Amino acid sequence: MLRYVIRRILMLIGIVFIISVGSFFLIHLLPGNITAVIEGPGASPENQAKLFKLLGLNRPIYEQYFVWIGNILHGNLGTSFISQTPVVTTIGNALPIDLEIMFLSQILAFAVAIPMAMRSARKPDGVIDRFFSAGSFTMLSVPSFIVIILLVLFVSIKLGIPHTGPSSYVSLRGDWIGNLESMALPAITLAVGSFVVYFRVLRSDLIATLQEEFITMARSKGLSQRRIMWRHAFRPSSVALLGAAGVNIGGLLAGGFVVQYLLNIPGLGYTLIAAINTDDYLLVQGIVLVVSVGVVLINFFFDFIINIVDPRISRE
Amino acid sequence: MTDVSEKLLIVEDLSTTFATAGGPLPAVANISFDLGRNETIGIVGESGSGKTVLSRTIMGLQPRTNVSVTGSVLLDGNEMVGASEDFKRRLWGTEVAMVFQDPMTSLNPVMRIGKQIDEALRVRLGMSKQDAKARAIELLELVGIPSPVQRYKAYPGQLSGGMRQRVVIAIALACSPKLLMADEPTTGLDVTIQAQILNLLDELKERLHMSVVLVTHDLGVVATRTSRIVVMYAGRIVEIGATRDVFANHRMPYTRALLESSPKVSNASHTRLITIPGRPPNLLKLTQGCSFAPRCSYATDKCHQERPELQAADQPGHSFACWNPLPTTRGDSAT
Repeated sequence: MLRYVIRRILMLIGIVFIISVGSFFLIHLLPGNITAVIEGPGASPENQAKLFKLLGLNRPIYEQYFVWIGNILHGNLGTSFISQTPVVTTIGNALPIDLEIMFLSQILAFAVAIPMAMRSARKPDGVIDRFFSAGSFTMLSVPSFIVIILLVLFVSIKLGIPHTGPSSYVSLRGDWIGNLESMALPAITLAVGSFVVYFRVLRSDLIATLQEEFITMARSKGLSQRRIMWRHAFRPSSVALLGAAGVNIGGLLAGGFVVQYLLNIPGLGYTLIAAINTDDYLLVQGIVLVVSVGVVLINFFFDFIINIVDPRISRE
Repeated sequence: MTDVSEKLLIVEDLSTTFATAGGPLPAVANISFDLGRNETIGIVGESGSGKTVLSRTIMGLQPRTNVSVTGSVLLDGNEMVGASEDFKRRLWGTEVAMVFQDPMTSLNPVMRIGKQIDEALRVRLGMSKQDAKARAIELLELVGIPSPVQRYKAYPGQLSGGMRQRVVIAIALACSPKLLMADEPTTGLDVTIQAQILNLLDELKERLHMSVVLVTHDLGVVATRTSRIVVMYAGRIVEIGATRDVFANHRMPYTRALLESSPKVSNASHTRLITIPGRPPNLLKLTQGCSFAPRCSYATDKCHQERPELQAADQPGHSFACWNPLPTTRGDSAT
């Protein structure tokens, strides 16, 4: 187990290095001239050239990379040329919002998906299973931007609950009820996309596990159905679920910006789009790096959990 | 209950039929036998003769869907056929327990073996955590697992097949059942381990005063360990009787074929074992006649047209289902 963890950590360092190189160089391929943005329209070419030099943009690109990565190792992602705020501060303000949405949406998704999958797996192709499966398929085929619009329409306009429409983000500091209200719609939207995947993955694995001989054995001990489901069937069936969750949560961190953009929630995705629009490449680089490392860490974390859940995996 | 208390288990006209896409499949048909206290009965037959389905049906462990069970199973006075899952659950573990065929698949691979034993004790007997653990370690010791305290924490994957089967036995014994169903308990094991496990079962049966239903395809296994034998073919009993009578005076050609196909110590080396030609019938396409007739060298037209019922042989309790039984007092096939 220890050797496995050490091997995974070494791999992690390699992956993070590749990501940093990738995010740095890819962004330098983007069109646009930062000096023109900073100096505004009508800037003279001489001033632009001066600024270009001042910012160190005339140095070879690999040198720029090493300066950047060296600063990152000191916890400094640079200071935005546009807003003059440190990138770390901007990200530090936005990231907790992403984490909160993610956390809420995943709790919601698991809370719905797990009992549903268990109910379905008890009688595959029964009435309830068919209903759940058809329902989840329908949900799967509705894109998240449609879900948001329908939810806003229903909750904010029909029911008239405050803080639930666009441009109504309430910070967690102070008014936590208002904050939960403003987080409800994005969390529900992301949960809808997640729970369908979790339900389907867990349902099929549970059905397969319930055919196993050790389930009959557990039954022959005189254990209740509920206990067999939770204690015997759930754990060996949850490996694929955890794998799916790892990929999905990573995807939410990287791809939650549709929801954030439509609901005006100042999370990382929202900030990223704004940064791209203003050519604020240091901020873009910083967010891409943080998100990528986050995705890698999340997957690493889930791999680790899977190993605990199913000890057969690391023993090989 | 007074008149049935003599017998621990009374099976009467028990049939198990699966609903399949190809029509009803009679896996077990019209089985009747009984079992006294502290007695061991052997159920023998080829793979696919319905032994496993029979043992699960007796226990009430058949799948919950697409199956119909008729007849009666009286287990210590409790009717198992048609009983609710809740009712049967109260008997499982304490009245009847099962040792499963393949220890590679019958233990939960992601649960420590100690927990798998504990669980029954805590849920069924309401033991405290510490008591259950102490008892589980005792059970591991009872079934002959070395250093049980360390093994208590092992996962099934860390144990050999023989050790796992001992764990399965420990789980079955946890709540001191009166009846132990052993469904081919040694099939998945090395030959050298088989005898150990069987002797262990024998010894435990004596020590704990259990009755045992020993299901196997190997007549050598039941020869010395059972008082009576049920021979099954295509889901039906074709011969039943005291072990001695079935070995020495079997009347059904299928029983003889089974006996001849199992190796004997008295055989000279390189003796070719006699095999039974053909394969067990497709239970979806059973004919009117004796289901063994297509593979039987004694078969006549009558055998193909009409199914023989069980008829009494000379010895009490010995009966067979055959139109052309083997002549009586054949003693040469006994092992």
